[in-house]
Amino acid sequence: MKHYEPKLVCFSCKFGWGYLADEDELHHRIKNWVPIICSGKIDAIHVLEAFKQGADGVLILGCPEGDCHYQDGNYEARKRVYLVQKILGAYGIEPERLRIELAVDPEGKTIPQMVKDMSDAVAKLGPVKKVKERARTAAMAHR
Amino acid sequence: MWKTESKGAARVEEAIKQLLPPCQIKCPINEDIQRTNVLISLLPEEMEQARPQIIEISDYLYEKNPFFNICGYICGLCELECNYKTKGGAIRRRLLKRFLSDVYTEHLSQKEEFGVVKDKENVAVIGAGPGGLMCAYALSKKGYRVTVFEASNRLGGALWLIPGYRLPADVLSTTLSNLVRIAGIDVKYGAKLGEGKLTIEKLRNDGYRAVFLAKGTPYPRVLTFDGEVVEGQDLSGVMYGHTLLYEVSHGNIGRDYFEGKRLIVIGGGNVAFDVARTARRLGGDVTIVALEAEDKSSRDGIPADEEEIAGAWEEGIRIVYSHGVERIIGEHGRFRGISCPKCTSVFDDQGFNPKFDCTDCVSLEGDTLIITVGQVPDKAFLQREELLDEKGRLIVDPFTLQSLRKGFVFVGGDVRRIGFMVEAMKEGLVAAESIERYLRGLDMREGRKRDYEGYGIPVRKSYKRDVEVAWIPPEKRMHFQLIEKGLTLKEAREEAKRCITCGPCVSCKACVSIGFEKSLYAVEVDVERCSGCGICVYACNYDSARLTEVEGNIISTTDMFKCKSCGMCVVACPSDARKLVDDSTEKRIERVLAVL
Repeated sequence: MKHYEPKLVCFSCKFGWGYLADEDELHHRIKNWVPIICSGKIDAIHVLEAFKQGADGVLILGCPEGDCHYQDGNYEARKRVYLVQKILGAYGIEPERLRIELAVDPEGKTIPQMVKDMSDAVAKLGPVKKVKERARTAAMAHR
Repeated sequence: MWKTESKGAARVEEAIKQLLPPCQIKCPINEDIQRTNVLISLLPEEMEQARPQIIEISDYLYEKNPFFNICGYICGLCELECNYKTKGGAIRRRLLKRFLSDVYTEHLSQKEEFGVVKDKENVAVIGAGPGGLMCAYALSKKGYRVTVFEASNRLGGALWLIPGYRLPADVLSTTLSNLVRIAGIDVKYGAKLGEGKLTIEKLRNDGYRAVFLAKGTPYPRVLTFDGEVVEGQDLSGVMYGHTLLYEVSHGNIGRDYFEGKRLIVIGGGNVAFDVARTARRLGGDVTIVALEAEDKSSRDGIPADEEEIAGAWEEGIRIVYSHGVERIIGEHGRFRGISCPKCTSVFDDQGFNPKFDCTDCVSLEGDTLIITVGQVPDKAFLQREELLDEKGRLIVDPFTLQSLRKGFVFVGGDVRRIGFMVEAMKEGLVAAESIERYLRGLDMREGRKRDYEGYGIPVRKSYKRDVEVAWIPPEKRMHFQLIEKGLTLKEAREEAKRCITCGPCVSCKACVSIGFEKSLYAVEVDVERCSGCGICVYACNYDSARLTEVEGNIISTTDMFKCKSCGMCVVACPSDARKLVDDSTEKRIERVLAVL
């Protein structure tokens, strides 16, 4: 099998992640990185759209529990991840392709490593399967 | 990179519709508490990197409140109204400011002068306490040539009476000497108004177009019982707390001055506790006798702060509550003891009017009596200057602080009404505004009244406990060095992070200031799409999204004063009816996804 590098999209909350870093430099190191004001602002649609556009995985970084600037955005995000994982499963896309971490890293030093770790995990799954193949897997799972 | 901006879109706007977080309403000068809490919570983890940012935040606070590093030791009024109070303890805002102060006080001597061109009128400020200096600061920044006339040889007035174990002398002197330097305020020391030829009329003749009189309350109030002065206050061994604090602050009293002495301190205010704790540190065995009751929540409750009472208690000071002083007993001209009847009520509907049960009387013996029942202004001076009415009250418009007898004279601070430091500062600001209006010939009242409305507590899943206030243990703190530990950077960041930012965004804009957002986006509801399902109401943590009936249809609306532009309702809306105007987040996501 030829070398396959998964495409990951990383959303991160600005209040918890990388705000002390040089954003341009971090953008250079993290492909497809979208800092966002609150993880609670990430819509299910954004995640699904990412997969639709060809992403192999989505990583969401929110603030630690009880630390959200907008009170409970991180809890909302976590709830949403759980629900979207169900939807992905129903489409035959492995739920592990969507992950959320609630922690804090103002300098954002750990983000590239987290993205790499997830990328490695996703690489084992291979690319998101084609629709037909997925339909077959889903049907088998149903039986 | 960490850089805050306070101009343009990031400039704090005057709260419209007078909504503010409750802490900022409680603060007499409405300091930008929320904004700076958020910025502290976002400081770097390493002190070396955090230092320039701490100075940035402090510079911002300094603009409005050049006393903030003193407030960090002794104020904390804002904490009384914090929404978090009932959920795990108020945000320790005082300690957060103390944390800034620990860095900023050192930096002050390098801070550049404002360099404002002083092309406006000469104004005289009488008294270099917090009220006078605040007025001088505000006017000086606007280009007035301000001269402060101070009777003593140092700045600070009554602030010097605060013992060193609460407020270090070097913090006080550094803050104030730099304040007059930075703002370009001229100070004349040893210039006591009312003494010699120095009168208000003389100031006017010397070209001062307006005068702010903030002379404070230089004299102790004598002890009275049932409206009569209690005899024996001239006995040897009787003194006033005010005098003791003054002498201690000047270093005129030895460390063991009260060694082996039994002392009785009369009074229930914070100053009485300062006196008692000071006397204890000078070796005395101290008993406080307070008129008020132990239960602070009752009408007759003791006015001293809980922290003061706890501190005194820990230091081994006895407190006798609910007792007055009927008689001072002397022997051969020396103080021997007091006779204290039970006080059955302190206040009635008319105000201060204590009632006693003289059949229930306690006798206390002691070597020294220290009376600390309040301070009074220099009435004789005010009388000579014709600023009093026939009953001896100041005739001042309480709204503008303008004297009704002499239009160019403004009166404020303790001389008008005894209060906290920050209340005197507020009067200084009010006077500065009035003086400007007076000198520019503007209306003295128009547009000045602001009634603020507080915010409720936002909905939240979890709450955290406040950081502990740490004092040196009592057996090790019998000295005049600071007894309270400051916060570490880590503690400060965590404590600031607890702030639930319950105020409106326009009076904060921390997120814009630090570059997280470009502006505060308004939420727009597409009425055609909105089905009135109410999911947004559930999603909103700020009671901002609501359902309203318009022409028979239920649709959702957003209260823009309460909205935080977080976008949670936008995400929650199942029919895509809500959006944030001018928000580029969607576009940024699209751009990233497009190149996958």
